[in-house]
Parts: sequence; structure tokens; C-alpha cells
Amino acid sequence: MLTKNDLTRYERQILYPDFGEEGQKRLKQSHVVVAGLGGLGCSASLYLTCAGVGHVTLIDCDRVELSNLNRQTLHFEEDIGEGKPISAARKLTELNSSIEVTPVFKKITESNAREIIKGADLVIDGMDNFKTRFILNKACIAEGIPFIHGGVHGLFGEVTTILPGKTPCLACIFPEVPHGKVTFPVFGVTPALIAILQVTEAIKLLAGFGSLLTGKMSKIVRSAGKRCLKMSINEH
Amino acid sequence: MLQKLAGGQEVIEVTGTTTGECLEDLESRFPVIKQMIRDNRGQLRRYCSVLVNSESTHPKELTTPVKDGDQIDIVVFFGGG
Repeated sequence: MLTKNDLTRYERQILYPDFGEEGQKRLKQSHVVVAGLGGLGCSASLYLTCAGVGHVTLIDCDRVELSNLNRQTLHFEEDIGEGKPISAARKLTELNSSIEVTPVFKKITESNAREIIKGADLVIDGMDNFKTRFILNKACIAEGIPFIHGGVHGLFGEVTTILPGKTPCLACIFPEVPHGKVTFPVFGVTPALIAILQVTEAIKLLAGFGSLLTGKMSKIVRSAGKRCLKMSINEH
Repeated sequence: MLQKLAGGQEVIEVTGTTTGECLEDLESRFPVIKQMIRDNRGQLRRYCSVLVNSESTHPKELTTPVKDGDQIDIVVFFGGG
């Protein structure tokens, strides 16, 4: 049920013909897990919060560092040293007190991933390493939860929406998990751009309108042009 | 990313009967691409994948047969967040 405040707050997006009040109700009833509160996760959780997703869970095991501040827009200088989910949740709650924001200061592992995402309507990939990204990919497939992948490098980025059992997943293209965590070059604009595409996918999926980036990976080139790469389901 | 290393070309015609031969043809023309996609032992880096007509070639990334007209994609996985 939308309140009077909801109808005012989300008025401009409710005006969108394919979305309307029904779309807004669906967002309000949704639970999204944002895995990683770095460049992707900060921008993604910001726009999920603005859009009125009813419950947003934020998970990360890192603390805010000075070198994060060129791109992780929910963390400020005063937050250095604080757990990223705590720092982000504080800002998001100030932005929209009508939604539930749950910070989880924890590392995602093979053994806890399914429990962390259980019951969510979708998971946003905001990870900064291959290993955990593939753990999440596997957990989402096992739990039947849509997984919206995003990845960045420099001025490049990629997005795809994975619907378990229906579309190819990350392991269909990369059956072996790429090695380790690297310190990669990145401008703040790149994860912001990719995260906004991820949230656009999330809104369409949750509200049930529009077409999705399924079965293809959109490769954003130098934050300007883009190319879509067809994907196929493969054994892995 | 690879497009930049190939002088901005998005599509390059290569010759060979396998994916490995086609990649060698590409690398001979753009040696810097080899540094990007192969490790010190000449193996394909694990953040790279080779698709033929959108199908994964794993585990035969370098030995999959190809014929005239096939499309080979080299996909570099962007791991940052």
C-alpha cells in the first residue's frame, strides 16, 4: 500500500506509463541485497534508495580508506576507518527514512553466501574481486535469485542480468574463476555509470516492465560507446 | 580494451584453422595484445575467455576448430567494483 507521502515522493517516476503506482508498490515490497559498498555499491544503493525499494541490505567487510573517496560516493572524510556498510546505511537512511536499510559488516564466503542472500528479490554485484563475485554468482543460481553483474576497469565497464535457470551466468563464460584481487585503475564516473545501469535493470525487473540485459553482456567502452556481446548458456 | 590495443579496430579478420592459430595471427600483428591476454607461459589469462559464435570454447580455448566466417570474441572480464 502506498502512503500519501509515497505518492508525493515518487510522483515523477509513477508518471512513467509502464511503471505507475503498481510498479511503485512492487518496489516497496522488494528486498535487494547490494554486495559490496565500493564504487558500484555506493551508487547502486543510492539509486535503489531514491527509487523506493522497500528493503536494501548492504554487505561489505572493508573499512573506508582515503583512497576510496574518488569513487565511493556514500563515504566521506569523516567516515575513514568506519565499516563501509555502516557508513553507507547512515547516509541512505537520512536520504529516505521510509525504507529499511540493513548494514551487514561481514565477509561473503562459500559457506555464508546463500544464507546472506536468502529471501532477497535480487542481488546487485558490487564486488571488487573475482573470487567473491563467482561465489555470489553460484549462490544466486542455487537460490534462484536474479543477479545483476557489474564490473569496471579504468574507463571500461560491463553489465549483464542473470536470471537463474533461464539465462547464462558468469560461469558460462568464465568456467574457471580468474585469479585474485588486483588494484585496478578506475575513475569515479565509471562505477557510477555501470551502477546506474544495474539499478535500471533492477527497477525494470522488480516492477515487471521493459526489456532486460539478459543473454548478453553490455560492454561500455571508455564511458561513451557500448557494445553488446551475445552470451550462451554453457556447461560448467 | 583490446580494441584500443588494436589501433581502434573493433573487428579484425584473421586466418587459421583453430582459435589458437587465429589468436597467433592477431598477436603477430598486435604484439601488445599478447601481453594482455597471455601469461608468461603463453597460456590464456584466466580473466580472458574465447567465444566462437558466442559459444564458450572452454576448456579448448586455443584448440577449437574454426571455419571461414566464424566470429571469435576475446572477452576480458572487468573485475573491479
